[in-house]
Amino acid sequence: MRVFFGIYLLVVFVPLSTIAVWAFVDRWPWPNLLPSALSTRGLAEIFNGHAPIGGVLARSILIAVAVSVLCIVIASLSARALVFYEFLGKDLFRFATILPFIVPAAVFAMGIQVAFLRVGLGGTMLGVIIAHTVVALPYAIGIMTDVMAAAGPRLEEQSRVLGASRRQTLVHVTVPSLLPGILASASMAYIVSFSQYFLTLLVGGGSMKTFAVVMFPFLSSGDRTIAASYSLVFLVSTFAVFLLFEWILKKLGMRETRSLFL
Amino acid sequence: MLLALLFAYGVLNGILQGFGIMPYLGLTTPTLEYYTEALTRSDLISSILFSLYVAAASSVLATMGGVTLSAVITRLRVGRTGRLASVQIPIMTAHTVVALSVISLFSGSGLLARVLNSIGVIGSQADFPTVVGSSQGWAIILVYLWKEIPFVAFSTFAIMGSISDRFSEAASSLGASPLRTFFAVTVPLSSPAIAKSFLIVFAFAFGSYEVPLLLGSTLPRALPVLAYIEYSSPELLDRAHAMALNGIMSFITLILAWLYLRIIQRERRGR
Repeated sequence: MRVFFGIYLLVVFVPLSTIAVWAFVDRWPWPNLLPSALSTRGLAEIFNGHAPIGGVLARSILIAVAVSVLCIVIASLSARALVFYEFLGKDLFRFATILPFIVPAAVFAMGIQVAFLRVGLGGTMLGVIIAHTVVALPYAIGIMTDVMAAAGPRLEEQSRVLGASRRQTLVHVTVPSLLPGILASASMAYIVSFSQYFLTLLVGGGSMKTFAVVMFPFLSSGDRTIAASYSLVFLVSTFAVFLLFEWILKKLGMRETRSLFL
Repeated sequence: MLLALLFAYGVLNGILQGFGIMPYLGLTTPTLEYYTEALTRSDLISSILFSLYVAAASSVLATMGGVTLSAVITRLRVGRTGRLASVQIPIMTAHTVVALSVISLFSGSGLLARVLNSIGVIGSQADFPTVVGSSQGWAIILVYLWKEIPFVAFSTFAIMGSISDRFSEAASSLGASPLRTFFAVTVPLSSPAIAKSFLIVFAFAFGSYEVPLLLGSTLPRALPVLAYIEYSSPELLDRAHAMALNGIMSFITLILAWLYLRIIQRERRGR
């Protein structure tokens, strides 16, 4: 089993390291096993070239953060409704929460594009945020439902019985007990938003370029060093945000109970 | 709720356009013309079959791999760093980035071809079997496996962990082997989570556009790629064709989702 896990880790890391190597390749002619010249040309090009990436990166992060915040709020409320309450149309609501998983994102994107243009959301940051939230929400709701079902209503009831007010219960009991789940859904929503290419392209039009949109054309053709540099920046920036989330979790004293994601 | 409505509106709007209702072009009479055209185009069947095949292969293999991975992680009690490396990092990586690394590993001039060349197995780039852009969709499936095995493991890990804590001791004290315990106790009890992640992976692999565009062949084209080509055509009327293709695509996934719900419900009743 250890051997299996080892091989698996190798399968995870070999592709990632090829990306990391290619980002610094200057020349790598066939059939050499190793690059014949290395340089930081790719990274220099994307940060200081014709179209510096800094602003786009900042915008993408802003959008993704907004999406995760929206997702946490909506997902917490929806999960609460799904786990603790019975209401008319609950099954329908449950089905609606997984619908964006089932209907292809491309269908949603092409359908919503014209509608957004008509109400003036096309090509705006708000439009992109709303569209991303729709596709990221099912993941967040899924995680929050699991976490809430596992936590159960007992702790809250205890706290109310012991005389805490609704607000005190919320701040001191409910939120802390759900915090790992909240951060897990936040980072999932962040990732979904940050890597969303197609939907962003259609809803954001030419004006709302995000990192994933700018990166895509380089992947399909052209300079592999540039493409790999974009990918490397992508990996590093998502990982940095992930570490930030982990750090928040640790700061708030949630160690080892339930790590982010798992 | 509002977002659900918005989503429904987007999808519905798309479907209406498929019937030729496009007010912004002055078209308001519904027609079946675009659907008939879409349904009778020669490359439709091969596209549908190709997309179904890629989705089925990816989701079946990813589910098996993901459940195995999840079991291995539970059993080995893999620590935080191990879980970070094995599950969280792949989840964080974008599909497009994985596609790029598949290209740099498996294309004719990729690393694998170079290695095979240096040990003398192949002579030139042309001797290397087509993986990227093959009509068998190898490269696409590889990307989905790399991405979705960790995803399935992530979705099933929590429940499998708690089941194996509770029941595996009981099962093994009753004389069951670990393998038997796994298949007789752990897998059935976590089947709702497994089924759900299977459906998600299937629908994603069936309906997403980026990976087949980057790695797919031109014949047959994946269904979403076909739709996008129509959609982005300068002829605005082609949008109706795209929407008709989208309608077909949604119809297929909705049937699958309905089947899935039936299975879930039967299971609930069975308990």
